[in-house]
Order: sequence, then structure tokens, then C-alpha cells
Amino acid sequence: MNTVANVEDSGYLHDPEVQLMLRAKKGDDDAFSKLVVAYQDRLTTIFFHMTQNQEAAEDLVQEVFMRIYRARHGYQPNAKFSTWLFRIANNLAINAHHSKVRRKEIALPTGESSSQNSIHPDDRLLAEKSAMTPTRQLDKRELQAVVQQAMDQLNERQRLTVLLHRFEGMSYQEISDAMELSVPAVKSLLSRARDTLRQALEPYMQMGK
Amino acid sequence: MEKSVRLSAEQRDDLVAYLDGELPDEQARTIDQIIARSEVARHEVEALARTFELLDVLPTIRASDDFATRTLTSLKVMEAPFVLTDQWWFRYLVRTATICCWIVALGGSAWLGFEITRDWIPDRNEEILRDLPIIENLNKYRDAGDIEFLRQLKFSGVFEEPQEK
Repeated sequence: MNTVANVEDSGYLHDPEVQLMLRAKKGDDDAFSKLVVAYQDRLTTIFFHMTQNQEAAEDLVQEVFMRIYRARHGYQPNAKFSTWLFRIANNLAINAHHSKVRRKEIALPTGESSSQNSIHPDDRLLAEKSAMTPTRQLDKRELQAVVQQAMDQLNERQRLTVLLHRFEGMSYQEISDAMELSVPAVKSLLSRARDTLRQALEPYMQMGK
Repeated sequence: MEKSVRLSAEQRDDLVAYLDGELPDEQARTIDQIIARSEVARHEVEALARTFELLDVLPTIRASDDFATRTLTSLKVMEAPFVLTDQWWFRYLVRTATICCWIVALGGSAWLGFEITRDWIPDRNEEILRDLPIIENLNKYRDAGDIEFLRQLKFSGVFEEPQEK
């Protein structure tokens, strides 16, 4: 009874996506497909910048939706839908990262660092070429490669925090809810991440202007 | 102006939060003052802001055109109830079971047919066994000649044991 009352009192019921999810919970598959369409590109973008691979990114996005779909019968609107979705995405990204690290430990016991391996070879070449001549005008693709390489220097949590902030425009509070961290922890992660990026991108600062 | 003032780790964290508009008013005013006083802080803020601007070059990625369809189909498959006849192996199971049934049916028919028809064909050995007592005494029967003669001998009392006195 209390739970029902709490749900009814919840401010999140005004969230249209929560409404869609509640409809999906009752078996409305059209509502669920609307959520898939609404979030597919947003999640693909986040996972792409985590994995550097479109196919892997889409597999992870699909897994997020599968987890949500499986959990729909027990869904309670205790947060914004996007917070819940990105919490699942965060867990999945961490698990995927751990699996990737384990696979690399088996495949490449004395190989290069993971950040270097995760970059597409063409982009790495572009980034290396650009690093030799940082003062010349870089084209957009080169600049993207440089920024991506800088992003790859961040650890998984820092990168996800930056991506959620940059692409989703999420506040520190929303990121902390999604990543199950405290707000000061998010603040610290973003600060460290921005500092690392600043050091990596300093030679290219003028290009972004 | 304090040009060479070094920022603490906490102040650096605050600078980033300040740029993101995440600092409470009071702390934001403090940062305003630090920036106004310190060229180092000002430079730091500008560098951090430009860094974040550079992230704008990262592309937004579109999912494949058939992504939603693929995903929703996968969900349907995942949720579909288990239908025995829809399983890929069911066809093979039915075929194997049919073959087994035919083998059992043919074997059973063969056995039944054998049981039914084996009495129709006389068994030579059984005939010999049945006639064995006659065969064993065949020489005696030949010596006797015919049955009428034996019957007369029996009535005449030849075969009776003499009574002991």
C-alpha cells in the first residue's frame, strides 16, 4: 500500500518517458518501441565513444533494452526514466570493459596498453600525424581522431562521466544517480577528466575555436 | 594581481564545476574573486573551457536504420512462449520417432504372424516326439500283425498273470 502511495506521489510520473515505461509494463509494446527509438542514437553515441566500434556499441544498446524489457514487470518510477536507463548502461559498460580487459589479458599478455588498442588504426595514424604537426590547421577528421585519442586516455568512469555530461547534458546530480556515485565523486571525476583532456589537447586548443 | 598563485586540487575541482554551472552561489562568488585576482586561474578556466569546446568535434552516432526493428524482434523472440513444435529439433525428433514406430510395428507384426502361422506348418520333430512310444514298440506291433488279433488274444486271457496259490 505504501509503495503504491509512494509511486503515486512520485514527481517522476510527469516524465513522459516514465509514462511510456508504465504503459510498456502493462504490455504496450508500441510504448516500448517509442522508448527504443527515442534512445537508440543517444545510447549508440555513448557506447561508440566507449568502444570505438559501431557494431559493439549497437550490441550493448540492444542489451540495455533487453534488460529494461525483462525488468519491465517490476518497474517502479522511482527516478527519471533516463536515469534508470543510463544506470543500466553504466553497469553494462563496466561489465563490458571488464570482459574486454580479461580477453586482452588472455590474448595479449605482453601487449600494448588498452587505450592504444581501442583506437581504429586509421584514426591512430591520423592522430600520430597530427601530433607531429600540432600547429598546422587540422581538418575535422584529424581533430576528431585527436580528441578521441585524448578521450581514450581517460579511465572508463571518467569517460562515461564526460560523455553523459557532454552528450546528454546531465547535471552532476543526474550523473551521480545514473552512476551510483556521490556528487563530489562525480565532480572529482569530471575535474580529473577535464584536466587530462586539457593536457592532451593543449597543442590543438586553437583548432576548436 | 596575484599572477603566480597556484590552485589547490579542491579549487581546480571547483573551477570545473564553476564552468559547468554546478557550484552553489557562494562558492561561485569565491571562484569569481579568485579568477579576478589570479591570472593563473583565469588561464586555467580558459583552457578548461576550450578543452570542453573541443569535445564538440566528437560525432553523434546514429544507430543502423534497422536497429529498432532488430531489437524489437529480438525482444519478441526472447519473450515468445516455448512451443514444442516450433523447436528446430522437433522435426528430427518426429522423424526418428516415426522410424522407431515403424520398426516396432514391423517387428511386432512379424512376431505375431510367426505365432499365428507356425501351427499351420507341421513340425516334423513334434510329430516324432508324439509318435515316439509307437516307434519304440514298432517291432512288437509288426510281430503282432493286426489289432483284431491282439484284441482276441486279450479276451482269451493269454496276457493275464497266473494267480499265485
